[in-house]
Amino acid sequence: MKHFEYMQAESFADAAATLKENTDHRISVMAGGTDLLGALKEDILEDYPETVIGLKGIKEADYIEFSGDTVEIGAMTRLSAIASSDEIAARAPILAEAAYSVATPIIRNVATIGGNVCQDVRCWFYRYPHQIGERFDCMRKGGNECYAIRGDNRYHSIFGGMKTHATPCEVECPAATDIPAYMERMRAGDIHAAARIIMEANPIPMITSRVCAHTCQEKCNRNNTDESVAIHLVERRIGDYILEHAEEFYAPPTAETGKSAALVGSGPAGLAAAYYLRSAGHSVTVIDSQEEPGGMLTYAIPSYRLPKHYVKDLADAYRKMGVKFMMNTTIGKDISAEELEKRYDKVFLATGAWQRPVLGFDGEEFTEFGLQFLKEVKQWVGKKERQNVLVVGGGNVAMDVAVTAKRLGAKSVTLACLEGKLEMPASAEEVARAVEEGVTVMNGFGVSRLLYDGEKINGMELVTCVSVFDQNGRFNPTYDHDSKTVVEADSVLVAAGQKADLSFIEEKYSIALNRGLIKVDEGTQKTSRSGVFAGGDATTGPATVIKAVRTGRLAAEAINREFGIETPKRFSKPGFITYDTEGAQNGTAVRERELPAAERSLEKEDSFTIGGEECLTEAKRCMNCGCYSVNASDISPALIALDAEIVTTKRTIGADAFFTTKLEARDMLDRDELVVSIRFSVPSGFKMGYKKFRVRNAIDFAIVSLAYLYKVEAGKITDAKLVLGGVAPTPIRAKEAESAMIGQAPSAELAGKAAESAIEGAAVMKDNAYKVQIVRALVKQMVAAMR
Amino acid sequence: MIKKDCIVLSINGRKFKFSVGTGFGDVSPSETLTHTLRRRLGYTGSKESCDAGACGCCAVIADGEAIASCMALTVEMDGKSITTIEGLEDPIEGLDPIQQAFIDEYSFQCGYCTPGIIMVAKALFMSNPHPTANEISEALSGNYCRCISQYTVLRALNKLAGNENAELATFTRASDEVEDPIPVRQELYLSPYANGHVCAHSLD
Ligand SMILES: Cc1cc2nc3c(=O)[nH]c(=O)nc-3n(C[C@@H](O)[C@@H](O)[C@H](O)COP(=O)(O)OP(=O)(O)OC[C@H]3O[C@@H](n4cnc5c(N)ncnc54)[C@H](O)[C@@H]3O)c2cc1C
Ligand code: SF4
Ligand code: SF4
Ligand code: FES
Ligand code: FES
Repeated sequence: MKHFEYMQAESFADAAATLKENTDHRISVMAGGTDLLGALKEDILEDYPETVIGLKGIKEADYIEFSGDTVEIGAMTRLSAIASSDEIAARAPILAEAAYSVATPIIRNVATIGGNVCQDVRCWFYRYPHQIGERFDCMRKGGNECYAIRGDNRYHSIFGGMKTHATPCEVECPAATDIPAYMERMRAGDIHAAARIIMEANPIPMITSRVCAHTCQEKCNRNNTDESVAIHLVERRIGDYILEHAEEFYAPPTAETGKSAALVGSGPAGLAAAYYLRSAGHSVTVIDSQEEPGGMLTYAIPSYRLPKHYVKDLADAYRKMGVKFMMNTTIGKDISAEELEKRYDKVFLATGAWQRPVLGFDGEEFTEFGLQFLKEVKQWVGKKERQNVLVVGGGNVAMDVAVTAKRLGAKSVTLACLEGKLEMPASAEEVARAVEEGVTVMNGFGVSRLLYDGEKINGMELVTCVSVFDQNGRFNPTYDHDSKTVVEADSVLVAAGQKADLSFIEEKYSIALNRGLIKVDEGTQKTSRSGVFAGGDATTGPATVIKAVRTGRLAAEAINREFGIETPKRFSKPGFITYDTEGAQNGTAVRERELPAAERSLEKEDSFTIGGEECLTEAKRCMNCGCYSVNASDISPALIALDAEIVTTKRTIGADAFFTTKLEARDMLDRDELVVSIRFSVPSGFKMGYKKFRVRNAIDFAIVSLAYLYKVEAGKITDAKLVLGGVAPTPIRAKEAESAMIGQAPSAELAGKAAESAIEGAAVMKDNAYKVQIVRALVKQMVAAMR
Repeated sequence: MIKKDCIVLSINGRKFKFSVGTGFGDVSPSETLTHTLRRRLGYTGSKESCDAGACGCCAVIADGEAIASCMALTVEMDGKSITTIEGLEDPIEGLDPIQQAFIDEYSFQCGYCTPGIIMVAKALFMSNPHPTANEISEALSGNYCRCISQYTVLRALNKLAGNENAELATFTRASDEVEDPIPVRQELYLSPYANGHVCAHSLD
């Protein structure tokens, strides 16, 4: 064991005070040490303690007291004392049996009841010693993946898992969409609930699923072994469903608040903010200088990726919701920003990044701005003006420009960018599409000068780019000026960066900027002006649709808070999380169906929404990453059955809440909070016991355990309480089985019925179906013994 | 809060004083009792086998109770009286009766688990001179023997306790009568542990 300092506490208050005072110090408390020392030896804790506080010196916490019907047991009482107490055996045999079932006599002689209920998980992946090979950071240890989902899980949960922290896919999503939660709803056949979950984070999934680079998929845990879940394809189907049921999903608010907000810019940021603000009941006006709402969605992203009718239908749905669109209105020209602030309670600026940056090469004025080209693409249709096109830039806009130019009929399209193949900011799929359609990609080149003759363009001289980023990862390209290449072209489209459009900011309107972008507080999107918020590309520079959605939602939430409206609580399903054991074994993702290259055009969407069957198959591939271990303690199920109370240095918590709210009972405690004692009143007239199934008579943890309490009066079961251990992340009440029994006379038939009720809702994993049978057997045995 | 700079332990009747810390010769607070006994003091009778509290090979008696010394910090043993297998033999009377019974019944094979078993048995006999067969099995349930010396161990101890039929002393088995069992990983094992075909704990 690695070294730590040791201090002996004189009382719980003493230990708690030390924990409170030394927040910057890693401290573990130790009672008997039978659990903690194991974890320290294997070095599996996220934080190895600098100091261990020993509680063994607190002798006054080692007691079993009876006063009337109340039993109180000090936290430092050893399990051997509880197991051998005649009085506990007589008045609460369930607890004596549970204590006796723990480990072995030599462990029980030191193991305490307080330590037992606070013990760490026993999953063998979690407990895998760090000294052997690599550190195994599973989900519960702060890592990303639960190894039990696809590893050997014979001792794991048969009732599902519990979320530990946000999954990597969810963390990667800029809008923080709860991907596993909607996948679970899809598996349950409830697309409506799935849609609601997405809309809590992102109100325009029919659009993001089509245009987002979906980096969430890059972070999906399935990548470690096979293919990521095709998240965007599932999202797209749900997005389409939302649009088909627009009246329902974009319903007007039930009540008006009388507050107003002006949103400048109708791109994704403005649309996201508009949805959340309107839903809260405010009067929302979206102002835009263009004719149609949507910003980049309408004017920059090509129709073959995002057909415009989606944006139109969405805008119509918004109108029905009561969102007002004030189009063809330019801030700073038609109405001043100051005037807006006067007319509306809150203002949200999301004017985007539409301006052409100056790269500063000779002849730049003769080249075209790629974004402008996309915006005006309609007027080029049918005109084969560009024969040999050179596109400068390596992002998704550059890809759109290149593919669009090609589809307009250019003979050759070459794309030159600074970055190497793997560094390109464009998503791999977009690059692949461009290459498939015949675009030549030249990696590692920067612009040197345009070759021109008056206004006639002959080509471009490119210079080799040696590195794009400096040691600190900052964009700082360096070139080899001795290595130059010429590309012949009659048209050069530059799609290398965009600047925020801040033309509306007049001299007297002062708002803090940062490198040409509106400065905002991260998290609230507040600008330096009170009541004015900003988001989207105008605050970040050219980013992504989903990032803009995020800023729009955050701004709406901040505005709502200023209006005194709290963000509604996110969806959370009661119970444990589950996945589809069989479906999750499927290593191949659904493929997006696309038009063959020859049939693709500028107008028609390239790809299709997947069908319902495919969507279900894909949703089943999501493993619902969480922790699927089981509670290890034998004492906690018994305490739940007894309706005990856990007394801490700060409060008293009911056993049910203490053991079933959080994944780990310890998480219920503050850092400086300790368990002081366990208290319960002896249930009168009840028979009770603790059954533990394990393979070896001693030492083994429960494979399944059953803590039970029942009352039989005049041949009928009048009350019953069943708590199962070892089958779920926390002990669970078998409530269905309880109600099946109450009011009935014990019989073989009832035993069978109760057994079936006890396993209702079981979601077994690959290797643990046998546990279901054991649950049945224990319940049957219990009923069979009822008198 | 008490920070221990110095601890005193009585081991097999002799007093040992250690300074606690990181200096040369100091007992680190993270040192286990097994380590102190075996590597510091040369009491290699108690064995370090699983180092996880699971096998009982390291068992010693602390203030009259058997404990797994691998799951005890030496600093926490301050003021306690520890007995190891080395302390059992009486200088005048000779071997402890338990030791003698083990020799008489040949209750070991490789002998690795034996010191732990004897110490646990000793603690039992100290508090209960005539334990029943069940009490003996129960007390020893945390001691594992790879060589299957259990039969002879139980015979020796039951004889010593004066139990009838000591010759026949057997084990109790896990109560795992299950109807319609589903084998675990049918293709591999019949039970989570069993590696052969039918075994005592098989679910079939
Ligand atoms: C071989 C072996 C077999 C086992 N088999 C079983 C079994 O079958 N069933 C079972 O239930 N357990 C089993 N255990 C786990 C066993 O360690 C616990 O049952 C034991 O009760 C823990 O008590 P402790 O006092 O030794 O805890 P410690 O190891 O001292 O503490 C455990 C955790 O609780 C915290 N803690 C301790 N006391 C308090 C307090 N008062 N307030 C707040 N936090 C506290 C500690 O910081 C630590 O994180 C087994 C352990 C071993 C080594
Ligand atoms: S079940 Fe929990 S503890 Fe085990 S590997 Fe999965 S996340 Fe980790
Ligand atoms: S399997 Fe599901 S929950 Fe896990 S990372 Fe992938 S999409 Fe997210
Ligand atoms: S070494 Fe201590 S119990 Fe195995
Ligand atoms: S005699 Fe060899 S381990 Fe017991």
